[in-house]
Amino acid sequence: MGSTWQSILVYTFIWGSIYLLISLGFSLVCGVLRIFHLGYGAIFVIAAYGTWVFMEDVGLGLIPSIALMFLVQIGFAVAIFYRGVFQRYLEEEETLLTMAVLIFIALTHLANYLYPVTAGVSIPTTLIDDILKIGTVKIAYQMVLAALVGIIVTLVFVAMFLKTRVGLIIRAMSQNIQAAMLMGANVRKMYYLAIVLSVIPPTICMLMIAPFWGIDPFMGSPLLMTAMLVAILGGLGNLKGSITASYLIGFIHASVSFLYMSRFMGLAALVVTLIVLMIKRGGLFAGETLW
Amino acid sequence: MVSLEFKRDRLQLRWGDQKYEWEIEPRYWRNPAIGVLLLAILPLFVYSYPNILTMFTTANLYAAIAIPLGLQMIGTARVNFGPQLYLGLGGYTSALLNLHLGWSPLATLGATILACGFLALLLSPTTFIAKGLYFSLITLILPLTFLDVTFIYGDIFRGEVGLTGMSALFNLGKVRWNYLGYFYVSLLLMLLYLWVSDKIGRSRFGVTLAAINENEDVARMMGVDINRYKIFYFVFPSILTGIVGWFIVHTFRTFAGVTYLPLDFMIKILIIVIVGGRAYVYGAIPGAYLISAVEDSLRALGPINYVVFPLVLIGLVLILPRGEGLWGLYHKRHHRDYFPLFHVRR
Repeated sequence: MGSTWQSILVYTFIWGSIYLLISLGFSLVCGVLRIFHLGYGAIFVIAAYGTWVFMEDVGLGLIPSIALMFLVQIGFAVAIFYRGVFQRYLEEEETLLTMAVLIFIALTHLANYLYPVTAGVSIPTTLIDDILKIGTVKIAYQMVLAALVGIIVTLVFVAMFLKTRVGLIIRAMSQNIQAAMLMGANVRKMYYLAIVLSVIPPTICMLMIAPFWGIDPFMGSPLLMTAMLVAILGGLGNLKGSITASYLIGFIHASVSFLYMSRFMGLAALVVTLIVLMIKRGGLFAGETLW
Repeated sequence: MVSLEFKRDRLQLRWGDQKYEWEIEPRYWRNPAIGVLLLAILPLFVYSYPNILTMFTTANLYAAIAIPLGLQMIGTARVNFGPQLYLGLGGYTSALLNLHLGWSPLATLGATILACGFLALLLSPTTFIAKGLYFSLITLILPLTFLDVTFIYGDIFRGEVGLTGMSALFNLGKVRWNYLGYFYVSLLLMLLYLWVSDKIGRSRFGVTLAAINENEDVARMMGVDINRYKIFYFVFPSILTGIVGWFIVHTFRTFAGVTYLPLDFMIKILIIVIVGGRAYVYGAIPGAYLISAVEDSLRALGPINYVVFPLVLIGLVLILPRGEGLWGLYHKRHHRDYFPLFHVRR
């Protein structure tokens, strides 16, 4: 029984940190633009398949491929999602959400058409190919590193929001957009910045988890689901909420997996989220601000 | 005491305290009648092409899902991203009861209504607990969770392949006649939904639709019991959607959660609402027929059609007038024609 609880604790930390990395960009867009980025799953698809295209089809090395993929990622987020959809349909909720999902679906099917599962897409981003032993729990180093990267990226983001002028403006916008505009905040510029920042954590996440998660064209949907669940449970675009919710969902997943059956972990997380919403309207941190 | 009176544009019947009115001026019924007639004679031209007939039946069913969704979106002032949950629940309830307990289609219809009504009632507090985007996200996740359940309990739901062999709603003896019969029953179902939604929209009860949609707080201040109406506008369309699931089970005689529960299916329905014209309940019909035709024609392209189809849908949203859709285009050109509509500013 002791080893089971050790496993639960270790995997709560690992999965919670990875879920945090998955959902950070989604929460950022929620907090700043006050919209749900339902095309968020596309970022994971571009991260994996973009890197693969530059490596395999163009013949570049891993690092240049990742660098170019980042440029494509940012360009796609700004030109297609922000300028093409969010800016245009900000006042028409259902059209905005539908268009974002349609772009995501088109991209997913394009990836599936060009590189189906049988194509064997893989990204060689394993940093340490070994097993770590924590007490009685054995775990791949890559998973631990992915979790640590998740924490580091979150800390960098939090520090930026709390300690820099840009962070102050973004927080002000998330609290009251009209007041921020009256105080001279360049809202348009900050929206662009938020969109660019929002693609960084999921892209890093994809690169870190690619060796053990498995890449397939339809992986964006479950990852989007995780990000949405964290956002709902934590509170609309609140980073404190996202951090808490990530680890809470990590704990639920780990507990259900080790104490009952792993196939029920998604269902259990959803049931807990619904119960929390019934008790506490708007999630754990319902302040509707970024921090 | 009964009295019959001809007004300028309507026939009025008084019976005691009750008053009944029928619009008799042609402009009130001519174009809807032509529309219904066109839909009714449509299969006569494609009688020998079962594929096209099935496409039209599918279009009717899409419209039968989109019409209650439109009503629900306006009545709850929220975008429901998961009406397919009730489609799945209705489908699986009737399929499982029919297959395992041998219930007749009529009995499974009752069970479907009860199951969908119960679940919708259970979930209806979300319409006032969850704010706009939260509501969308919760409703988006629920059918995907149900899809997960169909995979987890694959021995019951047969998540990957679906359930087959349910009893047919009717059998006319010949396959072609059955196709024709299913088209007309689906058409009747769609027109019934349209008529009910239209009646609700134009009744005093329906005035609350616009009030809730315009401004919930103001409506509450004016004495509208917002929560009670929201429960109705959430539960009733959900039951209507569940009935479509029942219809699919007993006509196509196969039902797979993997077809109806994923996000792709829901997006198709939302696009029908948007392309048809989101403020117009009638817009669901041209929207559904257009989307079905596009989907069916693109299948000829092979596997790439899965990429092209969403791109075409994006193109349609970009091309059509914002918020007005196909029905808005028609209404602009024939502004003197009278059509009941939900013209609600959002």
